[in-house]
Amino acid sequence: MKQSKSAKVLSYAVVALLLVLYIVPLLLVFNVSFKSFTEYLLNPIGLVSDIQWNNYKDAWTQGNFSNYFLNSLLYTGVATVLTLIVSLFGAFPVARNYVRWSGLIYLFFLLSQFLPNPMVAQFKLMLAMKQEFGFVGYDTRLGYILLKTSGTGIVFMMFTGYIKSISRELDEAAGMDGCGYSRYLFQIVLPLMKPVIATGVILTAIGIWNDFVGPVMYLPSPANYPITFGLKEFRGQYGNNWPMLACGIMIVSTPLIVLYTFIQKYIVDGALAGAVKA
Amino acid sequence: MYPFGKGISRFVPFLLLLIPLALYVLFYFGPSVMTVIYSFTNITNLPGSGMKFIGLDNYHDVFFSGNSGERVDSIIRTLYFMFIVTVVQNGIALLVAVIINQKLKGDYFFRAVFFLPVVLGVAVVALVWSMMFDPLSGPVNQLYQALFGYKDMFFGSFSHAFGYIIFVQIWMYMGYSMLIFLAGLQSVPKELYEAGYIDGTTKWQSFRHITFSLIAPSFTVNMLLSIIGAMSTFDIILATTDGRFNTRTMAYDVYKETFRGSLEMGLPSALSVVQFLIILVFVIVAVKQMRKREVEY
Repeated sequence: MKQSKSAKVLSYAVVALLLVLYIVPLLLVFNVSFKSFTEYLLNPIGLVSDIQWNNYKDAWTQGNFSNYFLNSLLYTGVATVLTLIVSLFGAFPVARNYVRWSGLIYLFFLLSQFLPNPMVAQFKLMLAMKQEFGFVGYDTRLGYILLKTSGTGIVFMMFTGYIKSISRELDEAAGMDGCGYSRYLFQIVLPLMKPVIATGVILTAIGIWNDFVGPVMYLPSPANYPITFGLKEFRGQYGNNWPMLACGIMIVSTPLIVLYTFIQKYIVDGALAGAVKA
Repeated sequence: MYPFGKGISRFVPFLLLLIPLALYVLFYFGPSVMTVIYSFTNITNLPGSGMKFIGLDNYHDVFFSGNSGERVDSIIRTLYFMFIVTVVQNGIALLVAVIINQKLKGDYFFRAVFFLPVVLGVAVVALVWSMMFDPLSGPVNQLYQALFGYKDMFFGSFSHAFGYIIFVQIWMYMGYSMLIFLAGLQSVPKELYEAGYIDGTTKWQSFRHITFSLIAPSFTVNMLLSIIGAMSTFDIILATTDGRFNTRTMAYDVYKETFRGSLEMGLPSALSVVQFLIILVFVIVAVKQMRKREVEY
């Protein structure tokens, strides 16, 4: 079908308007991050005239960002890897009917998407664990990581679907050669699942890295803050000093934007797979 | 048949399956069920205190106790939030998806930009818009003043703060809905449009009868995601106003009363159950409506 010229122009106009709404805020933040506080107060919007590189240094040291980054990397890295492994432990036997009541277990795991809000009792549980054991539960790194490790979510469902497409004869051949179950999972199945693992990693990692509510609830000690909570605290510390806060925003978002430009296609596809399968 | 050995080793898959099962039961399924049970008790957060079943008292208190006016306001605000977000977000997303789908130059770039807020996360998005909406020096206020000679308090305004939160919510997730629509649009066979073109359909007719019917599944997914999302998320509220200036929703109330309120746990539990029931009703209605529209081809 032919597109009329005016329709095309209108389309570009709508998209351009929206692009302004999405890009301009980030450009303004970038611009403000180089201003001195005085310059910002006198001229908050105009192009920066006297670039203050020191802003970044100050924000980095005073905001304690290196600590937050390490925490975020730790939580995201460990919980993502664990999520993939336990999802595989769940998905493989269920997809293959290697355990009794596979269908029932699948439905039970699926139910995780439709449960009533567990927050109240979860909070009591985290407190009780902390009191009982000390090293796990409320305000512990391990407690938060375990909370974020889930083998029943979207990754589990994606894995189950994908494993069904892997030939069962492979299992039999490996079994015949005397390969054990866990060795088979890690050395044969896992490498075969590369595409779906990439999607799973991205979905899980974005979710945990950007988790805001979880740390606010369960990680109240400054030593345990991830980057999201750190940014919130930084805001509390600097109030309306927007050049400083803009540096904070840039410090947190630049690595994400750089990463995003490289693996954009996978992220977009991953988000779609997650939504459509859910 | 299980090919990996006999005897004891037959139980290995089950033992490994116990790990995700235990995590799920311990952290999500168990607490979820317990929350429902708590909602009928007078449980508190004091260590060592017992609990007694008190029937529907907590539910009564949600709606008819001394400070339940605020809570009912939250419930109404939550429904308002859900309607506006679902309609506006999906409306804009569908429009953008249709536009991008006609092979504009730079469509990949547009997709990437509109999805960026999800990648950046709530903490960053909330701070960016707090700067844009700063009442003293924020660019939006300067724009308002230049255009209308008027200034706003934004996240500090009792009457407008919630509107701006809705705006940020839609700004953040519009790209996500758009991607889902785009995937739906790309699966519509081109021949259908050509057939329609030969039969002399107008642009609007072909959109209404071909596109709109065939992307019904993505519509269902988007409706469900927005309804459930709007009913149960409160992270943008937490990160912008922290519940002040008339911006509390049900999900925020549950959080607030669990973590920073009284030691009573029965009331927030009852509130969670009410929240769940509302979600359930809307999801069932939405799915029923949507299923009617989905066509086979």
